[in-house]
Formats: sequence, C-alpha cells, structure tokens
Amino acid sequence: MNSKGSALDKYLGLLNGPQTMGRGLPFWLGFLAIVAALALGPEFLSRYQIINFSNFLISGFMALSLCLIWGYCGVLSLGQAAFFGVGGYAYGVVAINLLNAHGNTDIAFIAGIIIPVVFAAIVGGIMFYARLRGVYIAILMLVISLVIGTFMRQTADPDYTIGAAYLGGMNGLRPDSPDDPLLPSLIFGFGQTIQEFDGRSVSFYYLTLGLLVAVYLGLRCLVNSSYGYFLVGCREDPERTETFGYDVRRIQLSVFCISAAIAGLAGTLYTAWGTYIHPDGFGVAQNILVVIWVAVGGRKDLSAALIGALVLEWVSLRLASEGEYALLVMGAILVSVMLLAPTGVVTTISDVIERLRTNRAQAEGAKAPEIRKP
Amino acid sequence: MPGETDTPIIEVRDLVKNFGGVRAVAGLDMSIYPGELHCIIGPNGAGKSTLFKLVMGIQRPSAGTIFYQGRNVTRLKPFERARLGLAIKFQAMEVYQELTVFQNLFIPLRRHHRPKQIPEQAAHLLEQLHLAGTEEKLVSNLSHGQQQWLAIGMSMAVRPEVLLLDEPTAGMSPEEVSETARIVKDLNAGGTTIVVIEHDMAFIRNLDSRTSVLHYGKLFAQASFGEIEQNEDVHRIYLGTM
Repeated sequence: MNSKGSALDKYLGLLNGPQTMGRGLPFWLGFLAIVAALALGPEFLSRYQIINFSNFLISGFMALSLCLIWGYCGVLSLGQAAFFGVGGYAYGVVAINLLNAHGNTDIAFIAGIIIPVVFAAIVGGIMFYARLRGVYIAILMLVISLVIGTFMRQTADPDYTIGAAYLGGMNGLRPDSPDDPLLPSLIFGFGQTIQEFDGRSVSFYYLTLGLLVAVYLGLRCLVNSSYGYFLVGCREDPERTETFGYDVRRIQLSVFCISAAIAGLAGTLYTAWGTYIHPDGFGVAQNILVVIWVAVGGRKDLSAALIGALVLEWVSLRLASEGEYALLVMGAILVSVMLLAPTGVVTTISDVIERLRTNRAQAEGAKAPEIRKP
Repeated sequence: MPGETDTPIIEVRDLVKNFGGVRAVAGLDMSIYPGELHCIIGPNGAGKSTLFKLVMGIQRPSAGTIFYQGRNVTRLKPFERARLGLAIKFQAMEVYQELTVFQNLFIPLRRHHRPKQIPEQAAHLLEQLHLAGTEEKLVSNLSHGQQQWLAIGMSMAVRPEVLLLDEPTAGMSPEEVSETARIVKDLNAGGTTIVVIEHDMAFIRNLDSRTSVLHYGKLFAQASFGEIEQNEDVHRIYLGTM
C-alpha cells in the first residue's frame, strides 16, 4: 500500500474509532444524508427558520465543547458559558476597534477563540494544579461565569470602554457611537476579496454548518487518537492513569483549553449572528442549558451530545412559541431522562440497537459484531 | 538473595506517615534490591498499603526520605516516579470497568509503543496472563480473578523496573491464587523487581522469597519466608492465626 493509501486508512480509522458511536457505511451514509438535508435547508425553509437554524447550529458547538471535557475527560463544568461569553465579548471588542482599520474581522474571529483559551489556561491551571476535582470544579466554573456576568452588568457607566467599544452593562456590548448601535457581522478578508457573513443570511448558515461539521469530525479524530484514550483514562480513574506515567493534570488542562476554544467559537458566531452580546450570556440558564443538552443526548459521545443540543433547541423554540414554560419543560425532560435513560437518550437507543444486532447475530450462529466500545 | 553490598533499588529511611493522630508508618527503614521478589506481610493497619502509596507518591510522607535507584524521589509526583520505572497495582480493583480488555491495555502500552505495535504487544501480554482472546470483551464481563490479572498486566505494560503488587490474590479461588503465583514468578524471572503485599500465606509460601513483616508502621522482622514462619514473635503478632 502506498503512503497516500495509508494516510487515508489512518484518517478513516480515527473517524471510526472506538471512542465514538457509529461506524461503517450505514452510519456515514446517514451522516451524509443529514448534512445534505441541512445543506438543502435554505431551499425549503423560510428566512426566519434559517436564522433560527443558524442559532441551533451554534448551540451544537457548545454541546461538543462540554461533551469533550465532561463526557470524555470526566470534568463537569457548570460554567462553560463563561468561555462562550468571553469569546463573544472578545470578538465584539476587537471587531469594533479593528474593523475600520482592517476592513475585515479576521483578527476579531481569532481573538474570539484565542482569548477564551488563554482564560481557560489561567483558570484551569489554578484548578487542576490545585488538585480540585469533581463537584468543586463544577461549582467554581459556575461561580466564575456568574461573577463575570455580574461584573458585565455593572458596566453601564460610559467610562467602561475598551477603545471604541462600550461594554454597555445590561444592554450589552456596542460601539461607542450613537450612530452605529450594532456589532459588526463576520467579514473575512481573502487577499483582495472580502466576504461578509451577515447573521441573517444564508451564507452565515452555511459557514456555521461547515464549521460545525469540521469541528465534529476533528473532535472525532481527536477522541479516537491516543490522546482520546488518555482522556478516557483520566475520566475512568485519574489516579490509576497517573501511575502509568501520564501527567493527568496537563491532560485535563489541555482538553479544558480545547473545549474553551470551541465554546469561544460558539460565542464568536453567536455575537456575529445577532450582532449583540450581553451579560445574560454568562447566566445560570445559559450554563445549565448546555448541561441539559449534553446529558439528555448522551454525555459520553459527540454525536449524542450534538443531537441532544439540536433537538432540544428546536423543542425549546417550539415551546417558546406556545408559552413561557420552555425552561420548566426542559427541566422535566432532564429529570425524566436521568431516571429512565441516565446515560442519555441517543446513547441508550444506540446501545439497544447494538444489543439487538448482537442477539440476532448470535441466534443465527454468525460471528457476533464487535462490542461497541464506549 | 541480595547481599549487603548491593545498591538497593528502593530504599526508605526513617519514613513516617501520620493520618491525624494515627501514625500509619512510624520511622520505617527498609530496602528492596534489584531483581528481588520481596513479600511484605503484617496485621491489618500495619502500614503496608500506606508504604506502597508513599513509595509511588500517591501520598506525601510526614517525614523521611525515599530513594529510587539511589536518587531521592521523595518530592516527585506519581507520574514522574512512574516514568523512572515504578509501577503499582493497588489493593482495590484497578481496571477501567467501562472499557474493553484491549482498551485497558492500550493506555499503559502507549507509554512505550506506537499505536500500530500495540495489538501485538497486548496479545503477548494477554498470553502471559492467560487472557488470550479476550481483547474485545468488556472488562466488566471478566471474572474477578481475570480482572486482577489484567490489572497486573496493565502495570507490566509500562515496562517497569519495580512492580508493587498490593494484595494481587484478593478474592481469588485457590486455583487462581496458584496461577497468580506462577505469573508473578515468571515476571520476576524476566528481571522485574517485584514487591508483594499479601495476607494469603499459601501464596507467600509458594513465592518463597525474602519476606518483611511490618507491625505498627515499623519493620518487625525480615528473613526468608521459611525463617519468618518459624519466628515465634511473628507468630505472636500475626501468624498465630494460621
């Protein structure tokens, strides 16, 4: 086999690896069908629906972000929205200050990802190297998120500006100019070409869909690599894993930073989508919703967490249009799932299907299919 | 049997570990020599498991010094000691319950092997442990004894110089105990220094190695197991229950 063939095999191997649900031709055909259906969405959906679908896709990034750190590494963060908010504010501040000079938001887009990573490196470094674990990390992250949100609410004074960006307190970030109340949309510069992705446009929907697919596939490769095994080792028994010579705290910190980058990307896209970001982005509801999406879908699998987020966001939107009890119903869904399918709905369904296939194969005397590896 | 002139591979000097008002290890001096198979026995609460945790760095000593291959490792973290060549199988079941046998071995094997080499290495280890053909089984589907063997295999997978085994036969049938003794002796014959904590005297007798008796966190006696069995004082504190 030539080297090109080997590289392709390795790539497919990581996509189909042991730490992710779904493998083989049927799964990937289904995956392509879903992506194709989403790609054809603008042909059938109204502009209003496309705008909402863009927001659903953004929630998918948050689910993947939490799934990685919680489901794969065993570190529950109840403050993942902190990185979402920091990413959103970072994008907004840099975009406001540099758009006129650069004519694009390239640096702002990068800042919306990098600044949450720096923030995660500082917070995570303190948490993990102080040997905090379990519920203490979960609570500390929630507190950090709420503290940032509380501070942002108190920035209504006109003195709270960063260059040309006014933090704006409860009203959210905006340019320090009465003529221009909105934050800039995403504008990428490709050499002499400028491409704008207005949050209400189909192009923004495609950009978000493309990024989500790329992040999903990238994370599949990551968790199915040796690094993914180390993450699972840290989740299952960090003390034991350390006795094999692995620096568990460094692994936890690295994955914490990766998850912060993804949450920061979500915050950046959200800010560009709505051209606003405000302190509610750091709130309890924002933080807990992510946990609900991931727990209901299945925290130990990227696909399950992603499906959980997209479906529940859609349900939430439908409920919101029916009345004001969306959050209560979401809570009821979480409680029901915790009681009936504690590993998550999607994961449970997948396990049942796998068990049926195994039983049928055994009954037919055929070689049983490989046990699905968690 | 090591001589007095050999350099110990593990040496603890005046080691102390306090848990509140309880002194689990009380000024222990002890040496383990390269290539040795060494058993540690003693009544419950004698400080045996605590000694292992101190040597591995899981717990910090209240006082005293730990040397590994002549180097002071007292302040090193567990993963740093593991990288120097120390490995441990704890008293509790130390396998990743939700993973398959192969995945359990992949994590420690990856320390020294490329991913492509791991299936072959895993198969070789499983052969040694009488677990051949179980690669794709979930660990939770293995018997208790098989899980104990797998835990030993995981510790061996990092190619340690010294392997600390804390009660490797706990909960095993007599046949499994006998097989475990064979596995331990084979590993030792391969050059690995092995230190074993055990309560099962049939197992210790089978290993027939230099044996230390701990009592109230101190070294009470040290000799061949045959001599330890004849020691009246050891009988009084511990073996009298045989």
